Amino acid sequence: MNLKPYIAYARKSFLMRSAYRFDHIMQILSTCLQIFIYWEIYRSLYGSSIEVDGISFGMVTTNFVLSLGFSAGFYVNDFYLPQKIWDGSLVTELLRPISFRGRMLAENIGNGVFSMLFRFLPAFVIGVVLVGICPPESAAALGLFLVSAALGYGVLWTISFAVQMTAFWLVNIWSIVTIKNVCINILSGSMIPIWFMPEWLRNLIDFTPFSSIYFTPVQIYLGQLSGREIAGKCLLQVVWIVCMYGIGSVLWKRGQRKLVIHGG
Amino acid sequence: MDGLITVEHLHKSYRISKRGKGIPGMLANLVAPKYEKKDAVKDISFQIAEGEMVGFIGPNGAGKSTTIKMLSGILYPDSGQILVDGKVPYRQRKQYVGNIGVVFGQKSQLQWDLPVIDSFELLKAIYRIPDQTYKRNLARFTEMLDMQEFLKQPVRQLSLGQRMRADIVAALLHDPKIVFFDEPTIGVDVVGKETIRTFIRELNAQDQITMLFTTHDMQDIEKTCKRLLIIDQGNKVYDGALSGIREMYGTTRTLDLELQTEVQVAPIPHVTISRPDDSNPRKWQLQFDHHAVSVQELMGFLLATYPVRDLNISEPEIESIIRNIYGGRQSE
Amino acid sequence: MQSDTIHLIGVYLKTTAKAWFQYRVDAIMRSLAVFLREATGVVVIYLTLMKFQDLNGWNVYEMLFLCSLLFLTYGILIIFFTGLRDFGNTVRKGEFDRYLLRPRGLLFQIIFVNADWFAAVGHGCLGISLFLVTAGKVGVVWNVGTVLYYLFAVLGGVLIQGAIFLLLAALNFYLLETDSLKELLYYDMKKFAAYPISIYSKVIQICMIYVIPFAFVNYFPAQFFLRKQDGAVYPFACLYLTPVVGGGVYLLAYLFWRYSIRYYKSSGN
Repeated sequence: MNLKPYIAYARKSFLMRSAYRFDHIMQILSTCLQIFIYWEIYRSLYGSSIEVDGISFGMVTTNFVLSLGFSAGFYVNDFYLPQKIWDGSLVTELLRPISFRGRMLAENIGNGVFSMLFRFLPAFVIGVVLVGICPPESAAALGLFLVSAALGYGVLWTISFAVQMTAFWLVNIWSIVTIKNVCINILSGSMIPIWFMPEWLRNLIDFTPFSSIYFTPVQIYLGQLSGREIAGKCLLQVVWIVCMYGIGSVLWKRGQRKLVIHGG
Repeated sequence: MDGLITVEHLHKSYRISKRGKGIPGMLANLVAPKYEKKDAVKDISFQIAEGEMVGFIGPNGAGKSTTIKMLSGILYPDSGQILVDGKVPYRQRKQYVGNIGVVFGQKSQLQWDLPVIDSFELLKAIYRIPDQTYKRNLARFTEMLDMQEFLKQPVRQLSLGQRMRADIVAALLHDPKIVFFDEPTIGVDVVGKETIRTFIRELNAQDQITMLFTTHDMQDIEKTCKRLLIIDQGNKVYDGALSGIREMYGTTRTLDLELQTEVQVAPIPHVTISRPDDSNPRKWQLQFDHHAVSVQELMGFLLATYPVRDLNISEPEIESIIRNIYGGRQSE
Repeated sequence: MQSDTIHLIGVYLKTTAKAWFQYRVDAIMRSLAVFLREATGVVVIYLTLMKFQDLNGWNVYEMLFLCSLLFLTYGILIIFFTGLRDFGNTVRKGEFDRYLLRPRGLLFQIIFVNADWFAAVGHGCLGISLFLVTAGKVGVVWNVGTVLYYLFAVLGGVLIQGAIFLLLAALNFYLLETDSLKELLYYDMKKFAAYPISIYSKVIQICMIYVIPFAFVNYFPAQFFLRKQDGAVYPFACLYLTPVVGGGVYLLAYLFWRYSIRYYKSSGN
């Protein structure tokens, strides 16, 4: 397979993002503020306690810096495909001798690298300076954390990929995308650490892909999981990626058929 | 001449961001963006009398849209004066805009999801159009533009030509004294264009509405306007009658000659001779400036000297003259 | 207001409603989505306080009473200020040119041309239900005085947020892009405001009272009823000043808007 056009797409989207300089500075600030708000809240909630349920304040802070930082850096454009369906450009895109899904992924990688460099990294550094985080448990934990974070991004992206496909059938997918994001915000642990959720909710979350996005990498980073558990959780991440991509691809195939009938 | 529209030494510039190339350029731009000043309109003056219909043309980026936007009160000029119907557009906006209509060919003012008639009703309320005037205008314009069939259809279902007709009516419902058209035929098919031109011509003739008209289609100008304003790179290049432009810039004549036999045409002073068709050695083409060479003498000479079978003299197309004007300026 | 102006408002409302009702299912879905999105904050507060009982002395009902004001004011705000919220888009798409070409006030057109009824319904429902659930539980005594206070506080809260929208809209005349600035100055500040200001450090407290006066939208009105001794330091008069602050900042934002219109650069073709 010739990778050249895909690299070109990735590079182009990386460069395109730089147009809105002001936007990036504001986004970084916005992420830092959110981290700061949660830090303040939990500082107040912890008061003089050192640990709550075996979780120290430092661990909570680490959870917020990493998961909110990643949510700024993990770039997902939920309207990439819907936009192309609405303006009719998808039909011409499909005629090009390259895989559309490949292109979608390539552009996302370009954007994702940009976001990690210019959104996650600055916010992370400021977060560390401002509120401080725990160091990684070990060098190995750090390495596995990075692997798991990349898989977490894969889960986030494939969920969006599957949701976007509904645009073949719906006039407007804004509502569905919003509801999806509500689920991610609440259930991924980026707004309330999964440790502090009631038991029944934690059990429920185990059956969803949401904890695989940010929480698994964070747990690995903090050394909360044994080697065996790490392998299991990472495998689960892979399973979710395959699942979501599979669902998305089935919808993609069907949607294309619908497009052909309609497009005439 | 006392103009209804008077424009004097109009100037407007923009600040545009300059971006470097590739990843180093991007990084430089992230840290320290560079800007440069671009003059959209450098120094333009003209007057338009009541009831006139003026074609306003120029290449892309010449400053047409900027000028129209200043004339209609959307933009403040950097310097210079505009007085339209005794008002300064950008200062007395509310009083002023009730008397003008503006059609932007590329930006519809109709409600996308609603039937055309709903947009008209909304405009009636916005412009405080009296019932009688509204009914009269609506009936008259829909008749003239043949719009009954799609008046109740949502705008999103209309063809570009239909939408454009509806947009033109939308700009006219409140009986404006002056109408600015910015590319009113863009993307419209040949028949549609003709309908729009006829309508504009009739409206100008019947109602004495003053019109300024930008377009890329020279046919629009030739079929509607008597006067032409050409701007290029923010400056006025030509202002005068449409016919005058031929006198000034289009003095070249082309004489196509067909002989009965294969005879060589000998050189003639001030005339360029060529063979337009290699496969037919009896065909010749002669080009000359009709101020330097008398058409009558040349024809007499040719008829007397050569066995002429057919002969035809043509003036240059207005379109190619204009192209030459732009081209000449750009190569300066 | 003249009768033709009222008539025009009526026509605007009819047009907006007609356009929305072209897609009925979508309309219901949107309201639901907005409701759920906004409920996220409530769920987070609820779950957090289930674990920790209270936040700096505020129990879960008091916290949600504080939030209810935020949702209620936004629900009202968005009926009138959708056009200002989306003003960046209006400018970018060149639609502001049209507003300038019509013989009506610019703000008048921006306010009445569009209203995001889904956001209004979503936020409004959440605000009202939170209010109904919590008002009884936090021990509010209702009489003519407190009811009047409440109404004026809501009005003031709407105006304060309206002023922020107006200020941001005016910045569109200078900047290419203001969405992220809006994110920072409005939406992030609102996230701060969902919690009692007393939990924040001094700098943030001062910012919320004197710079972007979000504290007047919900914290001070809630404190008027609750009088919690939570350690925040502020002049006592603040509890009564919401309508004054609202009127004041709105006027300032309006003057800035008036001044800025001349810098409008219509987007090029």
